[in-house]
Amino acid sequence: MSKKIEKITILPGINKFGKKENFKKINIKEGEIIAIVGNTGSGKSQLLYDIERLAQKDTKSKRRILVNNKIPDKELRFNPKRKLIASLAQSMNFLTDISVKNFLNLHLESRGKKSRQGLLEEVIEEANRITGEPISPKMNLLNLSGGQSRALMVSDVANISISPIILIDEIENAGIKKEEAIKTLVKEGKIILIVTHDPSLALNANKRIIIKNGGIVKILKTTLREKGIAHYLNWIEGYNLGIRKRVRQGEEIKNVEIYCEPIKMKNNK
Amino acid sequence: MKFIIFAGTPGSGKTSIIKYVIQELKDNFKLFYVKFDCLRTLDDKRIAKKYKIPAAKKLAGELCPDHYTALEIPKIIEENQDKDIIILETAGLCLRCSPYIKEGLGINILDITSGDPSRYGPILTDADIVSVSKGDLISQAEREIFRAKILKVNAKAKIVETNGLTGEGAIDIAEYIKLSSEIKSKKLTLKHSMPSAICGYCYGNRIIDEKKVQERYLAGKKLKNLVPNLNCGKCGFKSCNEFIREVLDGNAKKEQCPFIKTIPSR
Repeated sequence: MSKKIEKITILPGINKFGKKENFKKINIKEGEIIAIVGNTGSGKSQLLYDIERLAQKDTKSKRRILVNNKIPDKELRFNPKRKLIASLAQSMNFLTDISVKNFLNLHLESRGKKSRQGLLEEVIEEANRITGEPISPKMNLLNLSGGQSRALMVSDVANISISPIILIDEIENAGIKKEEAIKTLVKEGKIILIVTHDPSLALNANKRIIIKNGGIVKILKTTLREKGIAHYLNWIEGYNLGIRKRVRQGEEIKNVEIYCEPIKMKNNK
Repeated sequence: MKFIIFAGTPGSGKTSIIKYVIQELKDNFKLFYVKFDCLRTLDDKRIAKKYKIPAAKKLAGELCPDHYTALEIPKIIEENQDKDIIILETAGLCLRCSPYIKEGLGINILDITSGDPSRYGPILTDADIVSVSKGDLISQAEREIFRAKILKVNAKAKIVETNGLTGEGAIDIAEYIKLSSEIKSKKLTLKHSMPSAICGYCYGNRIIDEKKVQERYLAGKKLKNLVPNLNCGKCGFKSCNEFIREVLDGNAKKEQCPFIKTIPSR
C-alpha cells in the first residue's frame, strides 16, 4: 500500500560542536544495508532518530532526510499508519501477558490488517529459524526466553510491521542466529540501517557510516577484502558458538581447531 | 497566554520530557513553570537554575492534588500575566480527574510499560496530546498495539513517542504547544468534573466506623457553613477544608479564620 521507496538521502547537519558535517549527501538505495559505527555516545542513535522522523533541520543534528529525492510531506512523517519505518530497539523482552498467537493477531489488528491464511504460522516458523529453541503459538509471551523473544520480534518486524525501511539499534546476539536474523529482515529490497559495535556485522553491510562527536565523519564502501574478513569473523563466531554449546552440554573441551573455509563468492563484482 | 498542563503518573517521565520542551521554547517565549506535587519536590529549583526561567512549586499536602491544582490555577494566571506560556506539571494522582482545562492544552505523559490504556480515566481520555514514554523498552509490535489501544479510548489524541533520556519527541510537543490557542478570557472550564468527595473521611476522620464517619461529616458540614470557602489562606492553611480538618482534630481554633461567621446564639 505504501508508496515505493527507491532511496533516501541524508543531507549534512552539524556535529556536537556546531560544525557542519563534511559531506555533500549520502544516498541509500533500496536493498542496501548500512552500518552505523562509532564510540558509545558518539551520536549513532541520533542518526537513526533523524531517519525515523524524517528530520527536516528540526532535530539536534539539523540534518535533512529526503525520500526519493523529495522533501517528504507531513502526512508521511507523522501519520503512523503511513509510517515507512519499523525499528528494532535494544529491548530484549516482551511485557504483554498473552499467548504468542493472540499477540500476533492483536498486532495485525492494530495495523488494521486481516490475517491471511497461514501468515501466523509463517511468522512463527521464520522466528524458529532464527532461534535454536522452538516457539509454539500457545506459549505465553512472558515465558519466552531472551533468544525466543528476540527472534519473534525480528520475524514480526519482517512480516507484520511491513515497512520499507528498518532501523536496528544494536541487534543482541544472545540466543539468536544473527546472520539468519538479518537475512529475514533484508528480503524484498528493504533499506536497513543498523547501529552496531560488532565488526562482523559492520563489514557485512554495503556501506558504513562512521560517527564522531555527533557528526558523520566518514562514509566507507565495504571492500571485497573486508567482506572476506567479515566472513572470517563470522566463522570465528560460529566456532565460538559451537564450543559454547559443547560447554553447556557438559563436554570437556580439549583443543581448538583454527580453520576457516574460504569464502564462496558468487560472481557479484 | 498559553496554558499547558502536563499530567502523568509518578515516574512516567514527565519532568524529563518537560525539560527538553522548555529547552525548545525558552529562547522565543517567556515561560513560567509550576510543579504540583503531594509532599516534596525540587524540580522547580532545578528547572529554574538550569533554564533560567521563573518556576514555583505547589504541594498539596492534605488536599486532593487535583482539587488543589484547580484551586490554584486562577492565582497562577493572575500572577503571570506577563508570560507567554505557563507550563503546569501535575501527577493527576487518582487518574479520575486530572484538571485539564478546555481553554488550554492537556498533555498526558503515559508510560508504555504501565499496562492497558483502558485502565486510565480522564487523565488519558481527555488529553489533547498523549506523549508515550519509554517506548525504547518494548518491541515495535507492542508499541503499535499500545498506540491502537490509546486511540480506542481517545480517538482524537495526537500521539507523540517520547524519550525522557534523549529528548526524542520534545520538538513535536513544542510544535503542538506553539500551535495551541491562547487563553482569551478569565473564564476557564475543567474538561471533566472532579470526583465527589463528601464524607467524614474528607474532613479528616480516621476511625473506620460508619457512625464515626457520619459524626465527623456532620461536624465538618457545620463548620463548612461558617467559613467563607474562599480558600484565601489567611488562617494559615491552604484551603477552608484543610482548616476544618485541623479544627476538628483540635490543632487549630475556629477564630483563626478572620471571616468565620459567629454561630447565632439560640
